[in-house]
Amino acid sequence: MDDILKKLPFFVDQVQAIKETVISNIVLIGQVPGPTFDEDARADIFLERLACAAVDECGKDQLKNAIGIIKGKDGKNHDPIFLTAHLDTIYSGEDVEHNYIVRKNAITGPGILDNTVSIGILASLPLIFRHLEISFASDIVLAGVTQSIGRGNLRGIRHLLNTWSRPIRSAIIMEGQVLGHFNYYSEGIIRGEISCDILATRHFFTEKFKPNAILVLNELINELLGINLPQRPRCRIIIGKITGGHKHGEIPVQARLGFEIQSDSDEMVKQVYEKIEDLVEGVGHEHSVALKLETITVQNAAALKYGHPLVKYTVAIMKSLGLKPVSESSESELSVFLSRNIPAVTLGITTGKNAHLANATMRINPMFVGIAQIIGLLLAIDKGLCDDK
Amino acid sequence: MTSNNWLRKNTFHHSKFKDIGKLVKKKEQKKISVSLCLPTLNEEKTIGKQIVIMKSELMARYPLLDEIVVVDSGSTDNTCEVAADYGANVHAANDILPKLPVFKGKGENLWKALYVAKGDIIIYLDADITNIHHRFAYALLGPLLMYDHVKYVKAFYDRPLAGEDARIRPTGGGRVTELVIRPVFSLFYPELTQILQPLSGEYAAFRDILETIPFPIGYGIETSMILDIYDKWGMDVIAQVDLDKRVHRNQDTKALGKMAFVIMKTFLKRIENYGLVEIRQKVYNELIQYQKVPGRYQQEPFCIEGHERPPIIDMPEYRQKFNIPDDYHR
Repeated sequence: MDDILKKLPFFVDQVQAIKETVISNIVLIGQVPGPTFDEDARADIFLERLACAAVDECGKDQLKNAIGIIKGKDGKNHDPIFLTAHLDTIYSGEDVEHNYIVRKNAITGPGILDNTVSIGILASLPLIFRHLEISFASDIVLAGVTQSIGRGNLRGIRHLLNTWSRPIRSAIIMEGQVLGHFNYYSEGIIRGEISCDILATRHFFTEKFKPNAILVLNELINELLGINLPQRPRCRIIIGKITGGHKHGEIPVQARLGFEIQSDSDEMVKQVYEKIEDLVEGVGHEHSVALKLETITVQNAAALKYGHPLVKYTVAIMKSLGLKPVSESSESELSVFLSRNIPAVTLGITTGKNAHLANATMRINPMFVGIAQIIGLLLAIDKGLCDDK
Repeated sequence: MTSNNWLRKNTFHHSKFKDIGKLVKKKEQKKISVSLCLPTLNEEKTIGKQIVIMKSELMARYPLLDEIVVVDSGSTDNTCEVAADYGANVHAANDILPKLPVFKGKGENLWKALYVAKGDIIIYLDADITNIHHRFAYALLGPLLMYDHVKYVKAFYDRPLAGEDARIRPTGGGRVTELVIRPVFSLFYPELTQILQPLSGEYAAFRDILETIPFPIGYGIETSMILDIYDKWGMDVIAQVDLDKRVHRNQDTKALGKMAFVIMKTFLKRIENYGLVEIRQKVYNELIQYQKVPGRYQQEPFCIEGHERPPIIDMPEYRQKFNIPDDYHR
């Protein structure tokens, strides 16, 4: 391991020396919009970049996941290592101009931190490996996965792993920010939306006492706040979104509420969700309105132990690069790997600001450290140091 | 109606030249060097991206470009700093041939780029392209390398406009082309109407063509270049390439009015010089626009002298630098 740790500063310098290659890939891919469910064009340019870098196998699966495979020297005797990043962003090309601005130490543009920087790096890794004269025993699978965020509900990675026939040695998931953060566990999550539609059940315009969709949801929120949540296993309900109404002086007929149940325990998430189902039915009945509960995302709780070699070496590599590792639960492809007993970690790549605004900005220099940690961890996995014996 | 034989024969799509390896091979066979020149004035938002992509794709990945030269008109933002940081050779226009009277304009930058650039072929790209892709350079180069008769290549494209609100408007652009240059070409040079976007700021040419024509210092450069090349060498040395989409900053009508004024002036001067018309009265240097202010309409005169640089080969400094004998024949 010491060999790898010693080389990390060299990796940082060498990647910086070919910064144009990395930035170019980030910009060329990032300027092609990739909203969830419409990532095809972005997948194509990602694959084109891989093909330009002479990656051995490039292609798309049925869900348009874009995959490149760098053949290992001894791929037959070693399971492949996955490197993944989600291709999709929250921005469509019709709403927001995908024009990236490259400054001396920053790149600005929609989706840059979530997650274009990671996709650009994924496309650059074949050339970076060549520049560093690094080769691997295992096959390295570079996967730009689709339908990941929001209503995508990690569909791309689920499909990819469902259809992947071989065992997988380990996986590294790349997220744009924040450098220094790493995730090795994911909470159980159910994300849902409750919609209240007065017009669906009542003759609104002829009624004297018209129900107010926002106030109905307010009643429901009060009920949600009354749910007893245990300290152990930890569990919480986050009410994160509410929309409704058109005018200040008009009773709203439609409103929506977005919430998320988070817990260490899948069972607890399920129990709380069932309680919410009952409450939705009860409040709807009391007010004689149509309340509809819809599940947006389901994620299973899964974790590596802190003592797992993959976690141990991730921490060692990060510390060696001068980073202070911070870990928290991750809502990402990580849970899909972990729930299939594939050792995996999520790593942040760089720092920046306005991550979810159209003027999201990433800093360029920290990215070279972010890339070096990925390379270091790949080498450690490839050498078998991260296998749980 | 004019024949469109040229359009059919000398019009290409960028995809025809996407095999960059083939272009590199041809370039090496012909022992030709290529300079990419970017004229700038406060382009810090686009210049970094432009240089990074060109350097990565056409210098590091494929050795198609030999250098990237930026000639700056005196930017007050970080244009020069960003360009230098990403590896371009950055020159202040005023520092090039400093003994000459100082002018400011795009044409001036392009003319002076000929002095500082080393390439046998010069590719000029505007520095405000927001959707820059390396095809903008390699596709302009393609016809020059692959077809011996082609000496000068113009770009054309769809021109969506990028507004202040970061939304793309799918139609528009090219208003000066359609309202000014195409009508006057139709009147005097119907053959030239086959050039679909004569005012596009992206073109490439062999040095031995560019060094022998004069350069207006401002907006008139594109018009004069086409007219002079057509006049000297005919239509067949010209080609055009479809670059698909180019997103650029929108300009308001008044700014376009200034552009149209300069282009008209350049055009009139050329057709008079060629003996096509005789203008019997003084042609003024002032564009007069009006602005409504409380209680009245205020005149806003805009003076354009219409200076031109001579063919750069006429400059002793240039001939000395490029070892051209003083008794050269154009």
